[in-house]
Amino acid sequence: MKLPAKISRAYLSSCSYFYNKYHKRLRYTVVLLLCVLICSCLCSCWSQREINSLAIVVGTGLDVGDQPDTLKLTVQIVKASEIGTNSSNDGNKSEGKAYINISNTDKSVLSAVRGISHIQNRRPYFSHNNILVFSDDLAKLDIKEGLDAFTRDYEARMNVHILISRGMASEILNEDASLEKTPALHIAGMMKDQNANPETAIVTVRDFLIATLSESTAPVAPMVELYESEGKKYAKLEGTAVFKQEKMIGELDKTQTRGLLWVNDKARSGEITVDTQWGQVVIEFFHSSSSLKPVKTEDGNIQMQLTVRMDGIVESNETTKDMSNLENVEMLKKEMDKVIHSEIEGALAKARSFSADIFGFGDAIRREYPQDWEVMKKNWDKAFPEIELNSHVDVELRSTGGLTKPVVPGGAK
Amino acid sequence: MNIEKESISSKDLMFAVFCFMQATVLRSGYIISITRQDSWAMAISGLLFSLPLVAIYAKLLKRFPGKNLFEINDITFGSVLGKIVSVLYLFFFVSLAALNTRDLGNFVVDFMMPETPIAAVFFVFLIGCVYGIRKGINNLIHLSTMLSIIIIAAVVINFILVLNNVYPGFLKPFFQLEPIKYVQATVSVVALPMGEIIVFMMLIPMLSKNAKAAKSFSLGLIISAILMIGVIIRDIITLGPLVPIVSLPSFESVRYISISGVFTRLESIYAIVLILLFLFKISILLYAFVLGLTHVLGMKSSDIESKTNESGQLQSQRKYTPLLLVSAIFVFFYSLIIFESVMENIDWGATAAPFFSLTFELLLPVISLLTAWLRRLGKKQEVKA
Repeated sequence: MKLPAKISRAYLSSCSYFYNKYHKRLRYTVVLLLCVLICSCLCSCWSQREINSLAIVVGTGLDVGDQPDTLKLTVQIVKASEIGTNSSNDGNKSEGKAYINISNTDKSVLSAVRGISHIQNRRPYFSHNNILVFSDDLAKLDIKEGLDAFTRDYEARMNVHILISRGMASEILNEDASLEKTPALHIAGMMKDQNANPETAIVTVRDFLIATLSESTAPVAPMVELYESEGKKYAKLEGTAVFKQEKMIGELDKTQTRGLLWVNDKARSGEITVDTQWGQVVIEFFHSSSSLKPVKTEDGNIQMQLTVRMDGIVESNETTKDMSNLENVEMLKKEMDKVIHSEIEGALAKARSFSADIFGFGDAIRREYPQDWEVMKKNWDKAFPEIELNSHVDVELRSTGGLTKPVVPGGAK
Repeated sequence: MNIEKESISSKDLMFAVFCFMQATVLRSGYIISITRQDSWAMAISGLLFSLPLVAIYAKLLKRFPGKNLFEINDITFGSVLGKIVSVLYLFFFVSLAALNTRDLGNFVVDFMMPETPIAAVFFVFLIGCVYGIRKGINNLIHLSTMLSIIIIAAVVINFILVLNNVYPGFLKPFFQLEPIKYVQATVSVVALPMGEIIVFMMLIPMLSKNAKAAKSFSLGLIISAILMIGVIIRDIITLGPLVPIVSLPSFESVRYISISGVFTRLESIYAIVLILLFLFKISILLYAFVLGLTHVLGMKSSDIESKTNESGQLQSQRKYTPLLLVSAIFVFFYSLIIFESVMENIDWGATAAPFFSLTFELLLPVISLLTAWLRRLGKKQEVKA
């Protein structure tokens, strides 16, 4: 231990000699060097992203390419300069679009994204992407590649909405959005509004991946299509796509989607139209929640037990009867019960016909009865259509809104 | 350098231990990938098995009050063998420093600046560490209280904000994996964040007279374990089955926060907290390495008497400056070559790291304690032979 000690002492004493002699000068030099160094960090030579060199992507579409084994990627990029202008005053409405769509076809998502550099001078920046639209043709083949790429990439976020388009995804991104300046923001805004009307499943990349990773659950995604009105094309949310093993295998319509959302505890608020013997009564429901539990019957089979709870108020009464009458309130509750039951049955029948566990029965069983699940999962595809669902609806009608009695012609005495 | 001796209180040490561990806790992916939805329980079992480690360190400190780890080595093993053991510890400290620098660099490069060379990131952060140590490690430790408040606040706020996107059912079913996985995860928790507090054994001479190191160690571990449970539960109920496959579960779950388009993109808070924590951890490790190197190279009197030791301590604080820069440069190159890729890093963390760490965290302290006991060294009244 003597030698290293000697060497280090010599080293130290020489250091301290210089340190003492040039103390002040050294100090200033070091401080100066540090300042220069810190400045060089601030200018961020690497990974530098200036806003004027970015193409901010707000929506992405994926289609089947025209060559075999290719993808057609469409990115919607906002034109920041057009966003602020009021196009109706400019008089050049047709040119004043606040976005451009760039399409590129290549073997993979990333090569298509990079290929955009041959077409545009700005690089797509995906952090502000709102929606990811897959065309149904692509979805029927495989959506794995698009999903993986859009989750793995560090710019992409997991709260992007997934949609499946009837027809080309690039066409959807080209719709004539009327209130918003870009179709992608229009569709993303619609997705946010679906909480008030449970006829569309709201599915983010995270939700879709969680369902995909599950051993049993069949992922679902909302569908979007175009409709024409006065020569213009508008996007419209309609129905739900059902997947199995990352391939689209079928669709649910509006009512079946509602049935699905009742079971999945995704229906929060909305309206239920009840046909009474005197006419229609519309009930608005809110604070709705549901819980799905597997229960074992006495003979060892597993059944699903669903309880739906909600508060409701009478929103409109098209009959001449007084719905604040307690007897009628009970009658309305029963009718609501019937409507919800029939919606759930509709969705269940459709899911059974696909043998696709869109409700997550398998996961619920795995959580409650892990041992039984180990046996059941082996032929889940056959077992799922056999599973019984007992649903129980618990409605509380809170009030009749602003009116207690109906508006009856000649009702004033 | 404004080093004051005996200026670190029990509370400071406790929060320092807490901050030291949180850097690894916020990157808890390596535990979650083993035990999936039961990982939160690993924080508890890890804590239970770390307390014996703390008891061993406490026993050592009781025998040799006011001595740091290397001085204890010198006393128990004699000057030659003691130096060899100390060099082993030095290797451990510098490896940990390099591994953590690497982790920090990977995080910055993967998630924020993908085109930046990782060396540039190391360089900038190591300058920060060197600056912090030169200004006095005890100042850094005083800061840990504030840092702890920031961490706890950030985790709590993130937890609350993500609550409308969670599904608690992801925690079920409980404890259905093979038992060996739980053992594996517990060993990982004990070895990787928790046992690393052995580094604080180097700072013992800086403690104030009435500070109780063992109590601070265990309290720090307990707060860390509680926060770790919170973080892991948040990640699991947000991401569910995605947790074991994403590379940074905490980052992804914080990223998911979006409340009416206002509270969104909060991962920058997480990133800042993580970087601060890593800087803190690397600084402590680097300081322990430099202090140990000074000691091993004999730049300080290694007398057993505490009086000369006190002055020796002060001298060494002044003298280690040149070694600090050299060590930082060493850590810089070490962390550059330590792993080629993140994949290698993950593989090391999952397979070899616990055993590597436990050698230094458990085996060597136990050997020192046994030797001290057999040779009847240390405080007489504590020897119950």
